[in-house]
Amino acid sequence: MQEPTFLILTALAAGAQHGYGIMSDVARISDGRVRLRAGTLYAALDRLKADGMVTSDKEEVVDGRLRRYYRITDEGTAQLATEVRRIRANAAVAASRLGLAGGAL
Amino acid sequence: MTWTAELEGRPGGLPARRRTRMERRYRRLLTLYPKAHRREHAEEMIGVLFAAADYDARVRAPRPVAWALRSGQHLADCADLVAGAARIRGRLLAHRVKQAARSSWIVRDQRWSDALAVISVIAPVLLLVAALAEFHLPQAVASSLTGHPHWRLTTTLGLSDLPLAAGAPAVAVLAFLRLRRLAGLGALAAATGQALLAQDGAAVQRPASPFAGPFAGWASPVVAFTVLLACTAAAALLLSPGPARGLALLTRGGATLIGAGALILGGFSVGGNVWLDTRSGFTQGLGSGMTGLPGDLLIAAVLVTVAVGCLRAPVSRRVLALLAIPVIPYAILWQEKLAGDLFGQAGGASASIASSLPLLYLPPLLLAIVIVAGTWLSRRRATRQGRPASPAGPRSAVSA
Repeated sequence: MQEPTFLILTALAAGAQHGYGIMSDVARISDGRVRLRAGTLYAALDRLKADGMVTSDKEEVVDGRLRRYYRITDEGTAQLATEVRRIRANAAVAASRLGLAGGAL
Repeated sequence: MTWTAELEGRPGGLPARRRTRMERRYRRLLTLYPKAHRREHAEEMIGVLFAAADYDARVRAPRPVAWALRSGQHLADCADLVAGAARIRGRLLAHRVKQAARSSWIVRDQRWSDALAVISVIAPVLLLVAALAEFHLPQAVASSLTGHPHWRLTTTLGLSDLPLAAGAPAVAVLAFLRLRRLAGLGALAAATGQALLAQDGAAVQRPASPFAGPFAGWASPVVAFTVLLACTAAAALLLSPGPARGLALLTRGGATLIGAGALILGGFSVGGNVWLDTRSGFTQGLGSGMTGLPGDLLIAAVLVTVAVGCLRAPVSRRVLALLAIPVIPYAILWQEKLAGDLFGQAGGASASIASSLPLLYLPPLLLAIVIVAGTWLSRRRATRQGRPASPAGPRSAVSA
Protein backbone atom coordinates (compact mmCIF):
# COMPACT_ATOMS: atom_id res chain seq x y z
CA MET A 1 0.00 0.00 0.00
CA GLN A 2 1.42 3.38 -1.00
CA GLU A 3 1.79 6.12 1.58
CA PRO A 4 -0.94 8.47 0.23
CA THR A 5 -3.40 5.55 0.20
CA PHE A 6 -2.42 4.60 3.75
CA LEU A 7 -2.84 8.20 4.92
CA ILE A 8 -6.22 8.65 3.17
CA LEU A 9 -7.55 5.47 4.80
CA THR A 10 -6.12 6.59 8.14
CA ALA A 11 -7.86 9.96 7.76
CA LEU A 12 -11.17 8.25 6.99
CA ALA A 13 -10.76 5.72 9.83
CA ALA A 14 -11.75 8.49 12.26
CA GLY A 15 -15.00 9.15 10.40
CA ALA A 16 -16.50 10.37 7.11
CA GLN A 17 -14.78 13.41 5.62
CA HIS A 18 -15.10 15.57 2.50
CA GLY A 19 -12.26 16.05 -0.03
CA TYR A 20 -10.67 19.11 1.52
CA GLY A 21 -11.08 17.62 5.00
CA ILE A 22 -9.10 14.54 3.88
CA MET A 23 -6.36 16.76 2.40
CA SER A 24 -6.10 18.75 5.63
CA ASP A 25 -6.13 15.63 7.80
CA VAL A 26 -3.46 13.88 5.74
CA ALA A 27 -1.19 16.93 6.10
CA ARG A 28 -1.80 16.94 9.86
CA ILE A 29 -1.25 13.16 10.26
CA SER A 30 2.01 13.32 8.30
CA ASP A 31 3.08 16.44 10.16
CA GLY A 32 2.95 18.50 6.97
CA ARG A 33 5.28 16.09 5.11
CA VAL A 34 2.61 14.85 2.68
CA ARG A 35 0.43 17.41 1.02
CA LEU A 36 -2.13 15.86 -1.28
CA ARG A 37 -3.46 17.90 -4.17
CA ALA A 38 -6.86 17.57 -5.77
CA GLY A 39 -5.67 15.54 -8.77
CA THR A 40 -3.80 13.01 -6.63
CA LEU A 41 -6.58 12.83 -4.03
CA TYR A 42 -9.38 12.15 -6.49
CA ALA A 43 -7.32 9.67 -8.49
CA ALA A 44 -6.66 7.78 -5.23
CA LEU A 45 -10.33 8.03 -4.15
CA ASP A 46 -11.38 6.76 -7.58
CA ARG A 47 -9.13 3.71 -7.19
CA LEU A 48 -10.14 3.07 -3.59
CA LYS A 49 -13.82 3.26 -4.55
CA ALA A 50 -13.22 0.82 -7.42
CA ASP A 51 -11.45 -1.54 -4.97
CA GLY A 52 -14.36 -1.26 -2.53
CA MET A 53 -12.26 0.27 0.25
CA VAL A 54 -14.01 3.65 0.31
CA THR A 55 -17.55 4.71 -0.47
CA SER A 56 -19.46 7.99 -0.88
CA ASP A 57 -21.42 8.94 2.20
CA LYS A 58 -23.48 12.14 2.07
CA GLU A 59 -23.48 15.37 0.06
CA GLU A 60 -24.01 18.98 1.06
CA VAL A 61 -23.71 22.37 -0.60
CA VAL A 62 -21.55 24.94 1.19
CA ASP A 63 -21.10 28.45 -0.30
CA GLY A 64 -22.59 27.21 -3.56
CA ARG A 65 -20.02 24.40 -3.83
CA LEU A 66 -20.79 20.69 -3.64
CA ARG A 67 -19.17 18.75 -0.82
CA ARG A 68 -19.23 14.98 -0.92
CA TYR A 69 -18.26 12.99 2.13
CA TYR A 70 -16.37 9.70 1.94
CA ARG A 71 -16.19 6.94 4.49
CA ILE A 72 -14.05 3.82 4.84
CA THR A 73 -15.75 0.45 4.21
CA ASP A 74 -15.25 -2.78 6.16
CA GLU A 75 -12.92 -3.96 3.39
CA GLY A 76 -10.92 -0.73 3.70
CA THR A 77 -10.74 -1.11 7.47
CA ALA A 78 -9.48 -4.68 7.12
CA GLN A 79 -6.86 -3.63 4.55
CA LEU A 80 -5.70 -0.77 6.76
CA ALA A 81 -5.47 -3.08 9.78
CA THR A 82 -3.41 -5.57 7.76
CA GLU A 83 -1.09 -2.78 6.64
CA VAL A 84 -0.73 -1.50 10.20
CA ARG A 85 0.23 -5.00 11.38
CA ARG A 86 2.75 -5.33 8.57
CA ILE A 87 4.36 -1.95 9.26
CA ARG A 88 4.40 -2.66 13.01
CA ALA A 89 6.08 -6.06 12.49
CA ASN A 90 8.69 -4.57 10.17
CA ALA A 91 9.32 -1.69 12.54
CA ALA A 92 9.73 -4.11 15.46
CA VAL A 93 12.35 -6.12 13.55
CA ALA A 94 14.17 -2.94 12.50
CA ALA A 95 14.08 -1.59 16.06
CA SER A 96 15.42 -4.81 17.56
CA ARG A 97 18.26 -4.97 15.04
CA LEU A 98 19.16 -1.38 15.79
CA GLY A 99 19.07 -2.15 19.51
CA LEU A 100 16.17 0.23 20.00
CA ALA A 101 13.73 -2.30 21.43
CA GLY A 102 12.15 -1.62 24.80
CA GLY A 103 10.44 1.64 24.01
CA ALA A 104 13.44 3.60 22.82
CA LEU A 105 11.59 4.38 19.58
CA MET B 1 -9.53 20.86 14.21
CA THR B 2 -7.91 21.02 10.77
CA TRP B 3 -4.60 22.48 9.66
CA THR B 4 -6.49 25.52 8.28
CA ALA B 5 -7.79 26.42 11.69
CA GLU B 6 -4.89 28.80 12.30
CA LEU B 7 -5.92 30.80 9.24
CA GLU B 8 -9.61 30.95 10.01
CA GLY B 9 -10.91 34.46 10.40
CA ARG B 10 -7.80 35.89 8.79
CA PRO B 11 -8.76 38.39 6.06
CA GLY B 12 -7.72 37.68 2.51
CA GLY B 13 -8.69 35.04 0.02
CA LEU B 14 -8.65 35.28 -3.73
CA PRO B 15 -9.81 38.37 -5.60
CA ALA B 16 -12.90 37.77 -7.80
CA ARG B 17 -11.13 38.31 -11.15
CA ARG B 18 -8.33 35.93 -10.29
CA ARG B 19 -10.91 33.43 -9.06
CA THR B 20 -12.74 33.52 -12.42
CA ARG B 21 -9.51 33.04 -14.36
CA MET B 22 -8.46 30.14 -12.19
CA GLU B 23 -11.88 28.46 -12.43
CA ARG B 24 -11.78 28.68 -16.23
CA ARG B 25 -8.34 27.08 -16.23
CA TYR B 26 -9.40 24.31 -13.83
CA ARG B 27 -12.48 23.53 -15.90
CA ARG B 28 -10.37 23.33 -19.04
CA LEU B 29 -8.01 20.88 -17.32
CA LEU B 30 -10.93 18.85 -15.96
CA THR B 31 -11.96 18.09 -19.56
CA LEU B 32 -8.94 15.73 -19.56
CA TYR B 33 -10.79 13.45 -17.14
CA PRO B 34 -13.17 10.72 -18.32
CA LYS B 35 -16.73 12.00 -18.80
CA ALA B 36 -18.23 9.89 -16.01
CA HIS B 37 -15.60 11.03 -13.52
CA ARG B 38 -16.09 14.66 -14.55
CA ARG B 39 -19.85 14.42 -14.16
CA GLU B 40 -19.51 13.01 -10.66
CA HIS B 41 -16.55 14.93 -9.27
CA ALA B 42 -15.89 18.13 -11.31
CA GLU B 43 -17.79 20.56 -9.02
CA GLU B 44 -16.48 18.87 -5.92
CA MET B 45 -12.87 19.06 -7.19
CA ILE B 46 -13.20 22.75 -8.05
CA GLY B 47 -14.48 23.34 -4.52
CA VAL B 48 -11.43 21.53 -3.08
CA LEU B 49 -9.04 23.41 -5.40
CA PHE B 50 -10.47 26.76 -4.29
CA ALA B 51 -10.41 25.77 -0.64
CA ALA B 52 -6.69 25.00 -1.00
CA ALA B 53 -6.08 28.19 -3.02
CA ASP B 54 -7.92 30.29 -0.39
CA TYR B 55 -5.64 28.81 2.26
CA ASP B 56 -2.53 29.75 0.25
CA ALA B 57 -3.92 33.26 -0.36
CA ARG B 58 -4.27 33.90 3.39
CA VAL B 59 -0.63 33.13 4.21
CA ARG B 60 1.03 36.36 5.35
CA ALA B 61 4.20 37.16 3.45
CA PRO B 62 5.75 40.10 1.58
CA ARG B 63 3.86 40.74 -1.65
CA PRO B 64 6.35 39.27 -4.17
CA VAL B 65 6.81 36.18 -1.99
CA ALA B 66 3.04 35.73 -1.58
CA TRP B 67 2.57 36.13 -5.36
CA ALA B 68 5.31 33.57 -6.10
CA LEU B 69 3.83 31.20 -3.52
CA ARG B 70 0.29 31.48 -4.98
CA SER B 71 1.51 31.10 -8.57
CA GLY B 72 3.68 28.14 -7.66
CA GLN B 73 0.82 26.39 -5.86
CA HIS B 74 -1.56 27.11 -8.74
CA LEU B 75 0.89 25.66 -11.26
CA ALA B 76 1.46 22.62 -9.05
CA ASP B 77 -2.33 22.12 -8.74
CA CYS B 78 -2.69 22.34 -12.56
CA ALA B 79 0.13 19.83 -13.10
CA ASP B 80 -1.40 17.54 -10.48
CA LEU B 81 -4.79 17.71 -12.23
CA VAL B 82 -3.13 16.59 -15.48
CA ALA B 83 -1.28 13.77 -13.68
CA GLY B 84 -4.50 12.69 -11.92
CA ALA B 85 -6.36 12.56 -15.26
CA ALA B 86 -3.52 10.48 -16.74
CA ARG B 87 -3.64 8.07 -13.76
CA ILE B 88 -7.42 7.60 -13.98
CA ARG B 89 -7.36 7.17 -17.76
CA GLY B 90 -4.39 4.79 -17.53
CA ARG B 91 -6.23 2.66 -14.97
CA LEU B 92 -9.37 2.63 -17.14
CA LEU B 93 -7.32 1.59 -20.15
CA ALA B 94 -5.56 -1.17 -18.21
CA HIS B 95 -8.92 -2.42 -16.94
CA ARG B 96 -10.36 -2.47 -20.47
CA VAL B 97 -7.32 -4.27 -21.87
CA LYS B 98 -7.53 -6.85 -19.07
CA GLN B 99 -11.24 -7.33 -19.69
CA ALA B 100 -10.69 -7.58 -23.44
CA ALA B 101 -7.96 -10.16 -22.98
CA ARG B 102 -10.20 -12.17 -20.67
CA SER B 103 -13.54 -12.22 -22.42
CA SER B 104 -13.70 -10.44 -25.73
CA TRP B 105 -13.24 -12.16 -29.06
CA ILE B 106 -15.21 -15.10 -27.73
CA VAL B 107 -18.56 -15.53 -29.47
CA ARG B 108 -21.31 -14.70 -26.98
CA ASP B 109 -23.91 -17.12 -28.33
CA GLN B 110 -23.37 -20.24 -26.21
CA ARG B 111 -24.18 -22.81 -28.92
CA TRP B 112 -22.01 -21.18 -31.58
CA SER B 113 -19.26 -20.73 -29.01
CA ASP B 114 -19.45 -24.45 -28.17
CA ALA B 115 -19.55 -25.39 -31.85
CA LEU B 116 -16.43 -23.31 -32.47
CA ALA B 117 -14.78 -24.97 -29.46
CA VAL B 118 -15.42 -28.40 -31.02
CA ILE B 119 -14.06 -27.12 -34.35
CA SER B 120 -10.96 -25.91 -32.49
CA VAL B 121 -10.25 -29.60 -31.78
CA ILE B 122 -11.24 -30.98 -35.19
CA ALA B 123 -9.73 -28.35 -37.51
CA PRO B 124 -6.11 -28.58 -36.22
CA VAL B 125 -6.33 -32.41 -36.49
CA LEU B 126 -7.64 -32.19 -40.06
CA LEU B 127 -5.01 -29.59 -40.92
CA LEU B 128 -2.28 -31.86 -39.62
CA VAL B 129 -3.70 -34.85 -41.52
CA ALA B 130 -3.97 -32.74 -44.70
CA ALA B 131 -0.33 -31.66 -44.36
CA LEU B 132 0.85 -35.23 -43.68
CA ALA B 133 -1.02 -36.55 -46.70
CA GLU B 134 -0.15 -33.62 -48.99
CA PHE B 135 3.57 -34.08 -48.43
CA HIS B 136 3.39 -37.91 -48.35
CA LEU B 137 4.89 -37.90 -44.89
CA PRO B 138 3.33 -41.23 -43.82
CA GLN B 139 4.94 -42.83 -46.90
CA ALA B 140 8.26 -41.20 -46.06
CA VAL B 141 8.10 -42.51 -42.49
CA ALA B 142 7.06 -45.98 -43.71
CA SER B 143 9.88 -45.94 -46.27
CA SER B 144 12.48 -45.02 -43.68
CA LEU B 145 11.20 -47.75 -41.34
CA THR B 146 10.79 -50.56 -43.88
CA GLY B 147 13.21 -49.55 -46.60
CA HIS B 148 10.45 -50.13 -49.15
CA PRO B 149 11.42 -48.31 -52.39
CA HIS B 150 7.83 -47.38 -53.35
CA TRP B 151 7.02 -45.68 -50.07
CA ARG B 152 9.20 -42.61 -50.28
CA LEU B 153 8.83 -38.86 -50.04
CA THR B 154 7.65 -38.05 -53.56
CA THR B 155 6.97 -34.36 -53.11
CA THR B 156 9.87 -31.94 -53.08
CA LEU B 157 9.13 -29.36 -50.43
CA GLY B 158 9.41 -25.82 -51.74
CA LEU B 159 8.85 -22.36 -50.27
CA SER B 160 5.14 -22.52 -51.13
CA ASP B 161 4.77 -25.69 -49.03
CA LEU B 162 6.32 -24.12 -45.96
CA PRO B 163 3.14 -22.55 -44.46
CA LEU B 164 1.28 -25.87 -44.44
CA ALA B 165 4.29 -28.12 -43.74
CA ALA B 166 5.42 -26.03 -40.74
CA GLY B 167 2.12 -24.38 -39.80
CA ALA B 168 -0.07 -27.46 -39.48
CA PRO B 169 2.11 -29.36 -36.94
CA ALA B 170 2.75 -26.11 -35.04
CA VAL B 171 -0.99 -25.33 -34.81
CA ALA B 172 -1.81 -28.86 -33.68
CA VAL B 173 0.90 -28.85 -30.99
CA LEU B 174 -0.05 -25.36 -29.72
CA ALA B 175 -3.77 -26.23 -29.68
CA PHE B 176 -3.19 -29.32 -27.59
CA LEU B 177 -0.84 -27.46 -25.27
CA ARG B 178 -3.93 -25.26 -24.62
CA LEU B 179 -2.13 -22.21 -26.10
CA ARG B 180 -5.36 -21.26 -27.86
CA ARG B 181 -4.55 -17.72 -28.99
CA LEU B 182 -1.06 -18.60 -30.17
CA ALA B 183 -2.44 -21.59 -32.10
CA GLY B 184 -5.13 -19.34 -33.63
CA LEU B 185 -2.56 -16.81 -34.74
CA GLY B 186 -0.43 -19.65 -36.12
CA ALA B 187 -3.38 -20.95 -38.13
CA LEU B 188 -4.03 -17.43 -39.42
CA ALA B 189 -0.37 -17.09 -40.42
CA ALA B 190 -0.47 -20.51 -42.14
CA ALA B 191 -3.60 -19.51 -44.10
CA THR B 192 -2.09 -16.17 -45.12
CA GLY B 193 1.23 -17.76 -46.07
CA GLN B 194 -0.50 -20.51 -48.03
CA ALA B 195 -2.65 -17.95 -49.88
CA LEU B 196 0.29 -15.65 -50.64
CA LEU B 197 2.66 -18.40 -51.79
CA ALA B 198 0.05 -20.42 -53.70
CA GLN B 199 0.93 -18.58 -56.92
CA ASP B 200 4.60 -19.63 -56.73
CA GLY B 201 3.57 -23.19 -55.98
CA ALA B 202 1.24 -23.28 -58.98
CA ALA B 203 3.98 -22.04 -61.30
CA VAL B 204 6.51 -24.59 -60.02
CA GLN B 205 4.34 -27.64 -59.59
CA ARG B 206 1.78 -27.26 -62.37
CA PRO B 207 3.35 -25.37 -65.28
CA ALA B 208 0.64 -26.68 -67.61
CA SER B 209 -2.14 -26.30 -65.09
CA PRO B 210 -5.71 -26.20 -66.40
CA PHE B 211 -6.31 -23.35 -63.91
CA ALA B 212 -4.57 -20.81 -66.08
CA GLY B 213 -4.60 -17.11 -65.41
CA PRO B 214 -3.27 -14.69 -62.82
CA PHE B 215 -4.90 -16.56 -59.89
CA ALA B 216 -4.00 -20.08 -61.05
CA GLY B 217 -2.58 -21.02 -57.65
CA TRP B 218 -5.74 -20.10 -55.77
CA ALA B 219 -8.00 -21.93 -58.22
CA SER B 220 -6.64 -25.27 -57.01
CA PRO B 221 -9.14 -27.13 -54.77
CA VAL B 222 -6.24 -28.35 -52.61
CA VAL B 223 -5.08 -24.79 -51.94
CA ALA B 224 -8.68 -23.61 -51.36
CA PHE B 225 -9.30 -26.49 -48.95
CA THR B 226 -6.13 -25.95 -46.90
CA VAL B 227 -6.53 -22.15 -46.83
CA LEU B 228 -10.19 -22.35 -45.76
CA LEU B 229 -9.44 -25.10 -43.24
CA ALA B 230 -6.66 -22.99 -41.70
CA CYS B 231 -9.00 -19.96 -41.65
CA THR B 232 -11.73 -22.04 -39.95
CA ALA B 233 -9.19 -23.33 -37.42
CA ALA B 234 -8.01 -19.76 -36.74
CA ALA B 235 -11.58 -18.48 -36.25
CA ALA B 236 -12.43 -21.42 -33.97
CA LEU B 237 -9.29 -21.02 -31.85
CA LEU B 238 -9.56 -17.25 -31.54
CA LEU B 239 -13.34 -16.90 -31.08
CA SER B 240 -14.13 -19.80 -28.75
CA PRO B 241 -13.01 -21.03 -25.30
CA GLY B 242 -10.76 -23.42 -27.21
CA PRO B 243 -9.85 -27.13 -27.31
CA ALA B 244 -10.33 -27.65 -23.55
CA ARG B 245 -14.04 -26.85 -23.87
CA GLY B 246 -14.22 -28.67 -27.22
CA LEU B 247 -12.82 -31.89 -25.74
CA ALA B 248 -15.23 -31.64 -22.79
CA LEU B 249 -18.13 -31.43 -25.25
CA LEU B 250 -17.06 -34.32 -27.48
CA THR B 251 -18.59 -37.68 -26.63
CA ARG B 252 -16.58 -40.86 -27.05
CA GLY B 253 -18.51 -41.68 -30.25
CA GLY B 254 -17.87 -38.22 -31.65
CA ALA B 255 -14.15 -38.43 -30.90
CA THR B 256 -13.91 -41.89 -32.49
CA LEU B 257 -15.74 -40.71 -35.60
CA ILE B 258 -13.47 -37.70 -35.94
CA GLY B 259 -10.34 -39.82 -35.50
CA ALA B 260 -11.44 -42.48 -37.97
CA GLY B 261 -12.75 -39.89 -40.42
CA ALA B 262 -9.50 -37.90 -40.33
CA LEU B 263 -7.46 -41.08 -40.83
CA ILE B 264 -9.55 -42.21 -43.80
CA LEU B 265 -9.76 -38.77 -45.41
CA GLY B 266 -6.01 -38.29 -44.94
CA GLY B 267 -5.24 -41.72 -46.34
CA PHE B 268 -7.36 -41.46 -49.44
CA SER B 269 -7.69 -37.89 -50.51
CA VAL B 270 -5.61 -34.75 -50.43
CA GLY B 271 -2.15 -36.14 -50.92
CA GLY B 272 -3.16 -39.18 -52.94
CA ASN B 273 -3.97 -42.76 -52.05
CA VAL B 274 -1.77 -43.63 -49.08
CA TRP B 275 -3.54 -46.84 -48.15
CA LEU B 276 -4.28 -48.15 -51.66
CA ASP B 277 -1.45 -46.56 -53.62
CA THR B 278 -0.73 -48.59 -56.80
CA ARG B 279 2.97 -47.81 -56.50
CA SER B 280 3.13 -49.45 -53.11
CA GLY B 281 2.99 -52.93 -54.61
CA PHE B 282 0.41 -53.81 -51.96
CA THR B 283 -2.49 -53.31 -54.40
CA GLN B 284 -0.79 -53.80 -57.74
CA GLY B 285 -3.07 -56.67 -58.60
CA LEU B 286 -6.20 -54.63 -58.07
CA GLY B 287 -5.76 -52.29 -61.04
CA SER B 288 -6.17 -48.52 -61.07
CA GLY B 289 -9.97 -48.52 -61.24
CA MET B 290 -10.25 -50.72 -58.16
CA THR B 291 -7.75 -48.64 -56.18
CA GLY B 292 -9.44 -45.28 -56.88
CA LEU B 293 -13.13 -46.05 -56.63
CA PRO B 294 -13.22 -47.73 -53.18
CA GLY B 295 -11.34 -44.77 -51.80
CA ASP B 296 -13.83 -42.32 -53.34
CA LEU B 297 -16.78 -44.25 -51.96
CA LEU B 298 -15.14 -44.51 -48.54
CA ILE B 299 -14.60 -40.73 -48.49
CA ALA B 300 -18.26 -40.17 -49.40
CA ALA B 301 -19.32 -42.64 -46.70
CA VAL B 302 -17.20 -40.83 -44.09
CA LEU B 303 -18.61 -37.43 -45.06
CA VAL B 304 -22.22 -38.70 -45.04
CA THR B 305 -21.73 -40.50 -41.70
CA VAL B 306 -20.24 -37.38 -40.12
CA ALA B 307 -23.09 -35.24 -41.53
CA VAL B 308 -25.79 -37.63 -40.28
CA GLY B 309 -24.08 -37.95 -36.89
CA CYS B 310 -23.93 -34.18 -36.59
CA LEU B 311 -27.65 -33.68 -37.17
CA ARG B 312 -28.56 -35.03 -33.73
CA ALA B 313 -27.76 -32.11 -31.43
CA PRO B 314 -28.03 -28.31 -31.80
CA VAL B 315 -24.31 -27.77 -31.21
CA SER B 316 -23.22 -30.52 -33.60
CA ARG B 317 -25.54 -29.11 -36.30
CA ARG B 318 -23.58 -25.88 -35.95
CA VAL B 319 -20.33 -27.88 -36.09
CA LEU B 320 -21.54 -29.32 -39.40
CA ALA B 321 -22.32 -25.85 -40.79
CA LEU B 322 -18.84 -24.62 -39.82
CA LEU B 323 -17.10 -27.71 -41.20
CA ALA B 324 -18.95 -27.26 -44.49
CA ILE B 325 -16.88 -24.10 -45.15
CA PRO B 326 -13.60 -25.96 -45.90
CA VAL B 327 -15.40 -29.12 -47.07
CA ILE B 328 -16.96 -27.35 -50.12
CA PRO B 329 -13.65 -27.18 -52.08
CA TYR B 330 -12.86 -30.65 -50.76
CA ALA B 331 -16.11 -31.92 -52.33
CA ILE B 332 -15.11 -30.35 -55.64
CA LEU B 333 -11.75 -32.11 -55.42
CA TRP B 334 -13.56 -35.36 -54.61
CA GLN B 335 -15.93 -35.21 -57.59
CA GLU B 336 -12.96 -34.51 -59.91
CA LYS B 337 -11.22 -37.57 -58.47
CA LEU B 338 -14.37 -39.66 -58.79
CA ALA B 339 -14.85 -38.66 -62.44
CA GLY B 340 -11.19 -39.46 -63.12
CA ASP B 341 -11.48 -42.86 -61.44
CA LEU B 342 -14.70 -43.72 -63.29
CA PHE B 343 -13.86 -42.47 -66.76
CA GLY B 344 -10.07 -42.20 -66.73
CA GLN B 345 -8.13 -38.93 -66.69
CA ALA B 346 -9.17 -37.96 -70.23
CA GLY B 347 -12.90 -38.57 -69.83
CA GLY B 348 -12.94 -37.47 -66.21
CA ALA B 349 -12.18 -33.86 -67.03
CA SER B 350 -15.34 -33.52 -69.14
CA ALA B 351 -17.50 -35.53 -66.71
CA SER B 352 -16.70 -33.38 -63.67
CA ILE B 353 -17.44 -29.81 -62.66
CA ALA B 354 -14.25 -27.85 -63.34
CA SER B 355 -12.72 -25.92 -60.46
CA SER B 356 -12.84 -22.16 -60.67
CA LEU B 357 -12.26 -19.31 -58.26
CA PRO B 358 -15.97 -18.44 -57.86
CA LEU B 359 -16.93 -22.10 -57.41
CA LEU B 360 -14.23 -22.71 -54.79
CA TYR B 361 -14.53 -19.55 -52.73
CA LEU B 362 -18.00 -18.06 -53.26
CA PRO B 363 -20.10 -20.83 -51.65
CA PRO B 364 -17.88 -20.99 -48.49
CA LEU B 365 -17.95 -17.19 -48.29
CA LEU B 366 -21.74 -17.11 -48.66
CA LEU B 367 -22.08 -19.83 -46.03
CA ALA B 368 -19.89 -17.88 -43.60
CA ILE B 369 -21.97 -14.73 -44.26
CA VAL B 370 -25.22 -16.66 -43.68
CA ILE B 371 -23.87 -18.04 -40.38
CA VAL B 372 -22.74 -14.63 -39.13
CA ALA B 373 -25.87 -12.80 -40.32
CA GLY B 374 -28.20 -15.53 -39.03
CA THR B 375 -26.57 -15.49 -35.59
CA TRP B 376 -26.73 -11.71 -35.45
CA LEU B 377 -30.40 -11.62 -36.47
CA SER B 378 -31.42 -14.31 -33.99
CA ARG B 379 -29.56 -12.51 -31.23
CA ARG B 380 -31.26 -9.23 -32.14
CA ARG B 381 -34.69 -10.87 -32.19
CA ALA B 382 -34.02 -12.54 -28.84
CA THR B 383 -32.87 -9.23 -27.32
CA ARG B 384 -36.07 -7.52 -28.54
CA GLN B 385 -38.21 -10.28 -27.08
CA GLY B 386 -36.28 -10.04 -23.82
CA ARG B 387 -35.03 -13.63 -23.68
CA PRO B 388 -31.47 -14.99 -23.84
CA ALA B 389 -30.27 -15.58 -27.42
CA SER B 390 -29.11 -19.11 -26.73
CA PRO B 391 -29.29 -21.02 -23.50
CA ALA B 392 -26.20 -22.77 -22.25
CA GLY B 393 -25.99 -26.19 -23.82
CA PRO B 394 -25.55 -29.43 -21.90
CA ARG B 395 -22.04 -30.56 -20.98
CA SER B 396 -21.93 -33.14 -23.77
CA ALA B 397 -23.71 -31.41 -26.59
CA VAL B 398 -21.83 -33.08 -29.42
CA SER B 399 -22.78 -36.63 -29.97
CA ALA B 400 -22.14 -38.35 -33.20
